[in-house]
Amino acid sequence: MIRVNNLCFSYTKKPFIENTNFEVESGEIFGFLGPSGAGKSTLQKILTGLITSYRGSVIVNGEEVRRHDNGFYENIGVDFEFPSLYEKLTARENLKFFASLYNKHRDIDKLLLSVGLINDADKKVSDFSKGMKSRLNFIKALLHDPQILFLDEPTSGLDPSSSRVMKDIILDEKTKGKTIILTTHNMYDATELCDRVAFIVDGKIRALDTPRSLIMGRGASKIAYTYLDNGREVRTEIPLCKTSEDETLSRLLRENRLLSIHSGEPTLNDIFVELTGRQLQ
Amino acid sequence: MRPIFRCFVMFLRQISKDGMLYASLAAPLLAGFAFRFGIPAAEAALCGYFGKAAILSEYYLLFDLFLAVMTPYIVCFVSSLVMLTEYDENMTSYMAVTPVGKRGYIVSRLVFPAVISIFASVIIMIIFSLTVWSAPILLITCALSSLLSIAVSLLLVSFSHNRVEGMALGKLTGIILMGLPVPFFLFSGVQYLFSILPSFWIAKLSVEDNYLYAIPALLTSFLWMWVLYGRFVKKLS
Ligand SMILES: Nc1ncnc2c1ncn2[C@@H]1O[C@H](COP(=O)(O)OP(=O)(O)O)[C@@H](O)[C@H]1O
Ligand SMILES: [Mg+2]
Repeated sequence: MIRVNNLCFSYTKKPFIENTNFEVESGEIFGFLGPSGAGKSTLQKILTGLITSYRGSVIVNGEEVRRHDNGFYENIGVDFEFPSLYEKLTARENLKFFASLYNKHRDIDKLLLSVGLINDADKKVSDFSKGMKSRLNFIKALLHDPQILFLDEPTSGLDPSSSRVMKDIILDEKTKGKTIILTTHNMYDATELCDRVAFIVDGKIRALDTPRSLIMGRGASKIAYTYLDNGREVRTEIPLCKTSEDETLSRLLRENRLLSIHSGEPTLNDIFVELTGRQLQ
Repeated sequence: MRPIFRCFVMFLRQISKDGMLYASLAAPLLAGFAFRFGIPAAEAALCGYFGKAAILSEYYLLFDLFLAVMTPYIVCFVSSLVMLTEYDENMTSYMAVTPVGKRGYIVSRLVFPAVISIFASVIIMIIFSLTVWSAPILLITCALSSLLSIAVSLLLVSFSHNRVEGMALGKLTGIILMGLPVPFFLFSGVQYLFSILPSFWIAKLSVEDNYLYAIPALLTSFLWMWVLYGRFVKKLS
């Protein structure tokens, strides 16, 4: 569905995106995970044809995006990081207008209903809260039932229940066979939604795999325990596979002195820090 | 073409929702009235008072020129403010990823209004002009004015960050029209200091009734557009 070959781009003279290669299969949810300023939105802008001054090749839906034809956007839905809506118009008027730009479109009321905006459909967008605007902006991308969806931080700044609703819609689109490119700095969203994730830092892809392989392939599961030593609480962390070799732990177990003991897999964030040396937030 | 047309209808709709823009569009009509009836009355009063045969009437053509340029100028000014509002709403980038496209958006916000303003300007001139215009000169003048106004739009949109700045800069770009009175007051070679202004050549064309001046008017307009277009497109993406 998407094939990127030797992509290079920079806003300035300084190299930024350099010789980037990756492919996205049809029907896949593909995530760009990285801290703010990593270049996620820039990559999306290139993939959606907003930035055309790139070098290398970017094929989306069989077309080199730099030279896309008029029908290209009939099958592409974009949800920008910041809402792009006519503030003076109502939610419904906005959707009606954008729907009119395409050859086909979905039922507007159903879309409004799906994100809980049906009762606000005839309110002006300028009276909407930030979260409501995000939701409206999101369904705007789904209006024409596109084959490929580009979602730039769709859940950022949303309350947990709206975020849940949106994630369910995203998963629902996937079951309909849509290809989805998702940008996020939220590791939980990436882990839950994405079939594959690309770690992005400073415009470069540092790792690319399924969230599961990234987590399992790298850091092994760990256990952490605490105990009292001379009246001070001490916390120790060891790999799960080294349990039997830990003399302290064996002694503590025998003497019943453990205060707490937990096991856990690393999160995608741990892996991100390990691979890139950077925090996600 | 259909998405571009729909996009243009949205442009009209935004104007209709904005009192200030709406009122601006009435300005050429009001000016037409004022020029057509106010100026000859003022001329009669002045001539009577000073006991002269003609004071303002030598400059009737200049008033006409201002009127001819005014309609495209106002239309493009209004269009620039709409574009700046849309820019604030992230709409310019969004249009670029719909079937409207970046180019379609520019067509709907610059070319359509400019073409319509040619006709509007011709009609206003037919109704309100103070002097007699031949049809070809009138048409050429209005078309050139419209081209000049596109350059003004590009300037306004590229250099202002928001609507308020756009309005301030809009007054400043009035300077571009400064070329109009030049052929009426400067007769020596000094007048060519203004030859970078398309408005200067537009005025020459009707003052001297010489079609050839359309060439420098076109060239200077395109020069302005060419200089500004890059920055304009960069801003839109
Ligand atoms: N239009 C632009 N002009 C110049 N630099 C930009 C522009 N947009 C973004 N940048 C810079 O490019 C880098 C990547 O930005 P962006 O792609 O928005 O990151 P992300 O979406 O991962 O937070 C940042 O350093 C940002 O400052
Ligand atoms: Mg971003």
